[in-house]
Amino acid sequence: MTSRRAPRDAGSADLDLFAADRPPAGAGAHAADLPPAPPHDVIDVVRYPGETAQSAVAVSVLTQTARDVIEGAFLPLWVRGEISDFKSHRNGHWYFCLRDSIAQIRCVVWKRDQRVIPAAPDDGMQVAAFGRLTVYAARGEMQYAVTQMEAEGDGLRRKALEMIHARLAADGLLAPERKRPLPRFPRVIAVITSPDGAALHDIVAVLRRRAANVRVVIVAAAVQGEAAPDEICAAFDRVNRWGEADVVIIGRGGGAREDLWAFNHEQVARAVAACGAPTISAVGHEIDMTICDLVADYRAPTPSAAAEAATTSATELHGELRKLSLRMSAATRATVRFQADRRRHLARDLASASVAHVSTRQARLETIAGRLHALSPLATLSRGYSIARDPSGATLGSAAAFHDGMLFALAVRDGTVPAQVRGVPSGSTV
Amino acid sequence: MTYEGRIARLEEIVVELEGTVALSRALALFEEGIENLRAAAAELDNAETRVQRLIEHADGTFETEARE
Repeated sequence: MTSRRAPRDAGSADLDLFAADRPPAGAGAHAADLPPAPPHDVIDVVRYPGETAQSAVAVSVLTQTARDVIEGAFLPLWVRGEISDFKSHRNGHWYFCLRDSIAQIRCVVWKRDQRVIPAAPDDGMQVAAFGRLTVYAARGEMQYAVTQMEAEGDGLRRKALEMIHARLAADGLLAPERKRPLPRFPRVIAVITSPDGAALHDIVAVLRRRAANVRVVIVAAAVQGEAAPDEICAAFDRVNRWGEADVVIIGRGGGAREDLWAFNHEQVARAVAACGAPTISAVGHEIDMTICDLVADYRAPTPSAAAEAATTSATELHGELRKLSLRMSAATRATVRFQADRRRHLARDLASASVAHVSTRQARLETIAGRLHALSPLATLSRGYSIARDPSGATLGSAAAFHDGMLFALAVRDGTVPAQVRGVPSGSTV
Repeated sequence: MTYEGRIARLEEIVVELEGTVALSRALALFEEGIENLRAAAAELDNAETRVQRLIEHADGTFETEARE
């Protein structure tokens, strides 16, 4: 193996003087590859840098050479171990150790490589890390540069889900009262999915079978792979700017758990939550809920179920029309009958009311008449009393009202008798 | 009127009819209801599921295009 970084001028003449004094240092793989050592009396050659004190190489040359050698010797590979001393540095890179019971190695995840790792690992996690072995030349330390990582029991994804869940919950996006009802009669259903996926096929098949009077508008987006989250978010953005969808189905047909990862992406969840129209999540996976399922207004277990949830079948609608028709006829018949009855009753009531009215008046008249009668002086006269009245008709109720010779009338029960006073009336003296 | 609008109107009509209404009003409502029922049923019979693609042009305008 050769070192690209070894200085080419290491064999300069002044160092050559000492070169032959010692046996070759660092004899090993390098030395073995070289031609046989020349006789001692040939002193014009340093066979490799650092062979002699005179040809000693700088530390940096050593560590850089070691780096090149190690990088060249190992293919990238998966290594398993436990995380310890994890630190997320200010510069954005992650540093930690990967260890087992007897050894450890320093590891780094560069910031740019963190995108594909669901979440930062925690100390104590058992992980498998994929990367390449190198040397951190400045420190002369071996370093394992990790680009992928999986934790035991899918720990990183679980942790990532929990973190996203917590952030969405903190923003209120998971609150049940946020769920919007789906429109009963959508005219336009936007479907965000892969244009050639099984999901779209299933959705269209269900809608055709239900004879739903709708426009299905496909908004194409990759639903798996690294580009999926961005494409799904872009599709939601288009649907919102377009503004004609009454309901939006987002989904894909089944798939392995990794294939569904886009639907656990925080940005995707936020795009679903921000959608202007009610959303149906149809990530064809009945067992695992995705974050997208939690945020959507309605969660359908499959794309077919989403199509069913979005529309009402023609059969059902016909049934509803029939029910409305029956209710309307019944109500109209009832009204007609009620109004006819009412008229009849009214007529009868009117008649009986008049009769009652008349007899009431009669009874009142009789009562009044009776009372008048009781008050009438005629009743007194009927008991044998009489009343004296002067010619003007005024009652003469006192002796003082009479004088000698005065003419007056006596009213008796059955008539009036002319009368005259004879002599001077004598009043009672008080 | 949309299908949804017709159904909503029908429901209003039925509710009003189920209350107390004058005979002439009842008959007018009934007639209007029958008209809505006929139109809604006709719409159901002509139902059609169309499949389109959303296309966004460079200027930000949108178009839907039939997908065969």
